Amino acid sequence: MINSNLAFSEDQRDCLQELVNIAMGQAGDSLARLLEVFVNLSVPRIKVVKRAALVSSLIELIGHQNLVSAVRQGFHSQIEHRDVRGEAIVIFSDTSFTELAELLAYEDELNEKAEQELLLDVTNVLSSACLAGIGEQLEIDMGFSVPTLLGQQVKIDTLIEANQAWQQALLVEINYSLDNRDFMCHLVIMMSDFAIKALKLRVDQILEDF
Amino acid sequence: MTIPLLICDDSAMARKQVFRSLPQGWDVAITYAKNGLEGMEAIREGCGEMIFLDLTMPELDGYSVLEAIRQEGHKCMVIVISADIQPEALARVTALGALDFIKKPINSEKLADVLRKYGLLA
Repeated sequence: MINSNLAFSEDQRDCLQELVNIAMGQAGDSLARLLEVFVNLSVPRIKVVKRAALVSSLIELIGHQNLVSAVRQGFHSQIEHRDVRGEAIVIFSDTSFTELAELLAYEDELNEKAEQELLLDVTNVLSSACLAGIGEQLEIDMGFSVPTLLGQQVKIDTLIEANQAWQQALLVEINYSLDNRDFMCHLVIMMSDFAIKALKLRVDQILEDF
Repeated sequence: MTIPLLICDDSAMARKQVFRSLPQGWDVAITYAKNGLEGMEAIREGCGEMIFLDLTMPELDGYSVLEAIRQEGHKCMVIVISADIQPEALARVTALGALDFIKKPINSEKLADVLRKYGLLA
């Protein structure tokens, strides 16, 4: 069972989902401008999951257990004068590097290093735009770290093993896909128990003001 | 004359935000829908002469609602209120018959501007 302090009420979940929805739209627009294509958005999903359930949640989100690539970007903020940290992970599944290189007009030879660059470029746009959008909606300032590669063509469970900071995580799922292109990425935001509690307080304030 | 107004969005907060942005004293009869399927039911029952429509929704999304409205031949004025702010999204919904597009988060000024543009508000 999820610690009841961490579980979201329906109102809290709905509010956060709508804030994320707006941020997702802004980030989707940035991605569309970068790739010069239309980006398909889906309804974001929000849930609190335990560490032990994280891998299975990610597999469910991605829809298969094939190899994926992923980039992480840390963020930090202050909510109610307390430091809050978390990280966004962008997971690329079913993505063709050849097509991605084409979209980004990347002309050099497509080796592992070049593929990493493509992943970092897309993450840079997507994850900072999305996190900044969420921060803006929540009316909190947010700082970001430089995106770093978490894994390239690796199994999904290794992404989490490499990254063991949390006991429970707020899983914010945002999916982006393109028409007629092999490109699919998922943005997952993970936060510590403490950060989740602080976030809930902020959401409550927004709901009260509403 | 009272206008049958449909507010179609999967988020309760977003529906409330639209409601709170409505011009004061505007004579409307409001119906709410949580997704495109519910929205279409309301439209078939005549509750959507004017529609404020979200795009990203479960069951049936806003694009599909616009297509269904056209296919079934309903006469509705649709204003899309969406977080999908890509220029292409605007082009797509306009091509599907939407009157206009408001970027989320909505507020009363943005809504009043659009309503005035179409002579729906003095």
